[in-house]
Amino acid sequence: MQGSARRTGVMTDVHRRFLQLLMTHGVLEEWDVKRMQKHCYKVHDRNATVDKLEDFINNINSVLESLYIEIKRGVTEDDGRPIYALVNLATTSVSKMATDFAENELDLFRKALELIIDSESGFASSTNILNLVDQLKGKKMKKKEAELVLQKFVQNKWLIEKEGEFTLHGRAILEMEQYIRETYPDSVKICNICHSLLIQGQSCETCGIRMHLPCVAKYFRSNAEPRCPHCNDYWPHEIPEVFDPEKEREPGISKSNRKSLRSRRH
Amino acid sequence: MPRGQKSKLRAREKRHQAQEELESLMGAQATTRMGREFRLSSSAHFSSTTQSSTAAETTSNTHWPQRATCTTTTAAAVSNVRANESTNNQMEERPRSSQAPAATEHMTRSPLDETVFMLVHYLLYKYQKKEIIIKADMLRDVVHIPRRYFREIMKKVSDHLEMVFGLDLKEVDPDRRIYFLINKLVPTWDTKLSDDRHVPRSGLLLTILSVILSKGNCATEEQIWQVLNVMGLYEGRRHFIFGEPKKILTQDFVRENYLQYQQVPNSDPPCYQFLWGPRAHAETTKMNVLDFLAKIYDSVPSAFPAWYEEALRDEEERAQAKAAARARIRAMANAHSKAMCSRSSHPQ
Repeated sequence: MQGSARRTGVMTDVHRRFLQLLMTHGVLEEWDVKRMQKHCYKVHDRNATVDKLEDFINNINSVLESLYIEIKRGVTEDDGRPIYALVNLATTSVSKMATDFAENELDLFRKALELIIDSESGFASSTNILNLVDQLKGKKMKKKEAELVLQKFVQNKWLIEKEGEFTLHGRAILEMEQYIRETYPDSVKICNICHSLLIQGQSCETCGIRMHLPCVAKYFRSNAEPRCPHCNDYWPHEIPEVFDPEKEREPGISKSNRKSLRSRRH
Repeated sequence: MPRGQKSKLRAREKRHQAQEELESLMGAQATTRMGREFRLSSSAHFSSTTQSSTAAETTSNTHWPQRATCTTTTAAAVSNVRANESTNNQMEERPRSSQAPAATEHMTRSPLDETVFMLVHYLLYKYQKKEIIIKADMLRDVVHIPRRYFREIMKKVSDHLEMVFGLDLKEVDPDRRIYFLINKLVPTWDTKLSDDRHVPRSGLLLTILSVILSKGNCATEEQIWQVLNVMGLYEGRRHFIFGEPKKILTQDFVRENYLQYQQVPNSDPPCYQFLWGPRAHAETTKMNVLDFLAKIYDSVPSAFPAWYEEALRDEEERAQAKAAARARIRAMANAHSKAMCSRSSHPQ
C-alpha cells in the first residue's frame, strides 16, 4: 500500500452522486456499477479520467469507514456474477429492509431466512414458509397476502425464487452475512474455499464439506478428475463454468449456464 | 456432517426463546417499527456503549461527556429501553451479549461518535423514504441527546451527510424542530439515471414551478389548472401517463417538499394557492425555471426583465451561500485526511 494513495479519502461530487445512486438502487451488478461510475464522471467532472473501479470504491470506503458503512463486493451464489451493495456494518438485524416493509412482513422474512439457513439445500419451500404465517408479529397476515409479500421480496432482490422454493439473493447475503453468522452460529454453513457464508452450494458426500458453485468452478477449473479438497474422494457433482465478465456483458445471458449450475438439491 | 433433526429443533427453540426474551426486554410496545430496528441493532452490538452515549432521561446529563471509552458492561441504563429498565440483567442470557465486551475492547468509540453515526444512518433511512425528520421522534427512537450537546451533534451529523453523501440537512421550522434532507448535488433533471418513474414527472413539476414563478412566486390553484388544462390534464380525470393530476400536485409533490399547497388567507369559500417548496428551491433555481419558460415562448430569459432580475438576484445569493459551505467542507476534509494519514502511516 503506497502512502500517497492513502492520502485520498477526499470526496468529490462524482463520488457523492455515485454513493447516492448506489444507495437508491440497493444492489447492482458490476457492469451496471461501471456504467454508473462513468455517468457520475460525465455529470460532474467531464474532463477527468475515470478511476479504476476498485480504486474509486476504495477511496469512497476510506471515507465511509468512520460511519460504519461500506461498499461491499460480493458474488452471486448461483452463477458467480460480481455484485455491489452499500452495507451497514453496524447493524445486527434486518434493519436495511425496514425502509420498505411493515413489521409483519419483516417477520415473515425472518422466518423464511431461518428455514433457508436450516435447510440442507439452501432452499425453503413456499408451503413451509406460508405455514408459519400464524406466528408472525404485528398485524395478522393471511396466506394469500404472504404470497404477495414473498413476491415483493423477490422483486426487491432479497429472495430468489426457483420452482416454488426460495433462497437468499446475493444482496441479502452481502447485507446480512454478519447478522446471520451471529444469530445462527450453529446452523450456518461455510464454504471450504472462501470461508464465507454459504447458502447454496455443492457438498462432498463423504466428509460433508461444502463449496459455493463459483468456488467449485474456480477450484476445479480444467481438472479432469475433480477430488474433494478435504478427504480426496471423487467429487460427485457436475462442475459449473466460471463466470467470464468479458463473454457475458448482458445480465441474464448466463441463463444457459444456470441449468448446469444447479446441482445437489433436495 | 449434517446435524440431526432433534438437535436442530432444540437449537431453534433455544434461539427463539432467547430472541423472544430479548424482544420483550426491548419493549414490545415499540412505538415505531424503525425505532425498534434501530434499538435492536444498536443495543445488540453496543449494550455497554450505548448506556454512556444515551443518557437516561432522569439522570446523568453530567455523566454523558465523561465516558470516553466504554469498559463497563453493567447494562445499567440502555436508556433506549424506556419501558422495561428493570430487567436489564437478563441481557446476559442473549447469545450475542457475550460478544459485547469483546466488541468494546477494540472499538473505543466515544459516545459522541456513536451518536453521530447512529443519527447518520437514521437520517439516510428517512431520506430514502422521503420523509421529514421530527426531532422528538429522533430523540425517542434512536438516541436521546442531552440538550446542550444537541447543536454540536447535529452539526457533525449534517457535515458528514454533506461531505460524504452530498445531502443537505435543512430545518423546516425552527420552532417545531423539523428537518429534512435534500440533494445538494448540481441538479441535473435531464439525467435522472436512477428514478425512471420520475422522469415524466419532472416536466410536469417544471411547468408548475414556472407558472408559480410567473405569477410572482405564488399561483392560485385555478391559475395552475388553467395551464394544465391546456396540456390535457384535468382535475379528477386520470391521465394515461401521470394518473390523477390533483393527487400528484396536492399530495405527492407536497409530501416530497417540491410544492407548498396552502389555503389563500381569508378566502371564503376556501381556495388554495401553490408556492415553491423548499426542495424545489434547493434542487433547481429560478434561472433554470425561467430558462424553461423562455424556451416555451421561443425566447430568452432576458426578454422577461422583471423575472430575469429576480432570477439574477437569486443566483447571487446562492453563489454566496455555496462559497461559505465550501469553506466549511474544505476544513472538514482537511481534518479528515489528516486523521487518515496518521492512521495509515504504518505499512500494510
